[in-house]
Amino acid sequence: MARILVIDDDSEYLEMINLLLQRAGHQVALSAEGEEGLAMALAETPDLVILDVMMPGVTGYEICRRLRSEPETACVPIIILTARGQPVDRDAALEAGADEYLSKPVTMTELVERVEALLADEAAVKAVPFGGVVVLMSLRGGVGTTTLAVNLAASATQTTQGGVCLVDLCPASGHVALQLGLRPEPNWSDLSRVGEFGAVAIDTYLLKHDSGLHVLASPVFPVRGDESLTRPVVRTALSTLQQRYSTVIVDAPPVLDEAAVAALEAATTVGLVITGESASIQTAVGTLRVLKTWFSKFQIVINQVTPGTMPSSEAIERALKRPVGGVVPFDPAQAQALAQARPLVIGDPDAPMAVAVREMTRVLARCEVSG
Amino acid sequence: MQESSTQWLVADFFVQDYRISGRVHVRYHKLAGQLNDQNTSFIQLQEVYISNVQRPADIIANYMDSSLYKRNISAAVVTRREDGMLREHAYGSYLGGYVYKAFIVVPAFEITGYLRLSSKLDMRTVLTTGTDDFVILTDGQMTSSLRPDVTFSGGAILVNKSHIGALCASTAEE
Repeated sequence: MARILVIDDDSEYLEMINLLLQRAGHQVALSAEGEEGLAMALAETPDLVILDVMMPGVTGYEICRRLRSEPETACVPIIILTARGQPVDRDAALEAGADEYLSKPVTMTELVERVEALLADEAAVKAVPFGGVVVLMSLRGGVGTTTLAVNLAASATQTTQGGVCLVDLCPASGHVALQLGLRPEPNWSDLSRVGEFGAVAIDTYLLKHDSGLHVLASPVFPVRGDESLTRPVVRTALSTLQQRYSTVIVDAPPVLDEAAVAALEAATTVGLVITGESASIQTAVGTLRVLKTWFSKFQIVINQVTPGTMPSSEAIERALKRPVGGVVPFDPAQAQALAQARPLVIGDPDAPMAVAVREMTRVLARCEVSG
Repeated sequence: MQESSTQWLVADFFVQDYRISGRVHVRYHKLAGQLNDQNTSFIQLQEVYISNVQRPADIIANYMDSSLYKRNISAAVVTRREDGMLREHAYGSYLGGYVYKAFIVVPAFEITGYLRLSSKLDMRTVLTTGTDDFVILTDGQMTSSLRPDVTFSGGAILVNKSHIGALCASTAEE
């Protein structure tokens, strides 16, 4: 039995959906007003929300965006159900964060089928402690993407089953391996020279960290453009790694090259890393605009790399129109962690940054973390 | 007693540069009947949501009640074909023995779809004869002239004859 909230100002539809979902064994809460429905969703965190777009006061799109911006409801499946049924409306619904879009008139059979399918998907996601491919990226350098990716992967390794692999796609660093105190050999420059490869072959190119984390490293010396990873190679590598590991975390390059595009295609969630500086936010605005195909995958990760004040999460969400999946405070202990080549979540798990990364782990991949 | 939602129809109306979505009461007259009703110059809508056609999914305003001046409506789009038909056509399922693929130009939009006629096509007859102000295209699509990525489709599109700048047609096999 799932708890389903239905928000629709059409009382007849509301009653009809109520009856059908109750017959299907679900517990249903109803609201005929947008603001009231939003408050109910935030207070009770339902398992699924069915939402009308055209309601007086606040539109369904706005409710959808608000639900996605709150950590408690950021991952709740949302079906938008509306009489505004044009392709542009569908795009707008998905852009607002809806999982499904149905245009009225909809048959009740179809609606119940979609509800059950979404609940089944959600159950499958929850069954996997930490799921899929999580990509961390920023097209502005110096925002700490690699540090966050390393700590996120280390945190996930501590708290999940099924294994975690961290993939460094940056073509000019080898920094992931270095932050873990590993020598970045072999690395993907060797892999990219291989034609077809499978699970066994890719295993020989992975580094093993003491924590249990496995790493596909990038070469320590910058590679030329013609030596960079191609889209098919990255696609195959990520697909192969997904068969072996429940979680694959990708440190994406700060450019939109073929490797980055392949990672975005494979991503379950994309954490767009920003700092509070206006240039970083401006780059994020442009990034989301250019990468609108994957807009719904994005969550914002605010990383405070210097001491001082930051714009509020609410202001950043308003500016970027995506939920904030994590706020990582400035932590002087991070400098020491880098010097020791030991991720902060392992070396000092009570440090403010480590605590924030563990919370980010839970939000970005719907992973319940203990402690 | 509350009226059944089956007595209401949601349609998109295109008035100058605006997309106006709203509920029309259709218990007594289908949409085509109301738009072609010569006794009133207006059509009444409830729960109206307004967007600019250049950003057609962004709701810029909403109101409980609205009157549209029918003369200024370029076209109206409904999802289901029967919702755009005249009552006798909708229930009699006779849509006309002659089917033509049509291309219509109205300000800011090109519209494609099917013209269903009870006799062979005579452009002047379609555009001028009779008292109906709106011509019905079935299975139609409207495309913004300025933004071809912005399209609206529906089972029926009712096009204001006085806004038509060009009507092109050829016989069609469905």
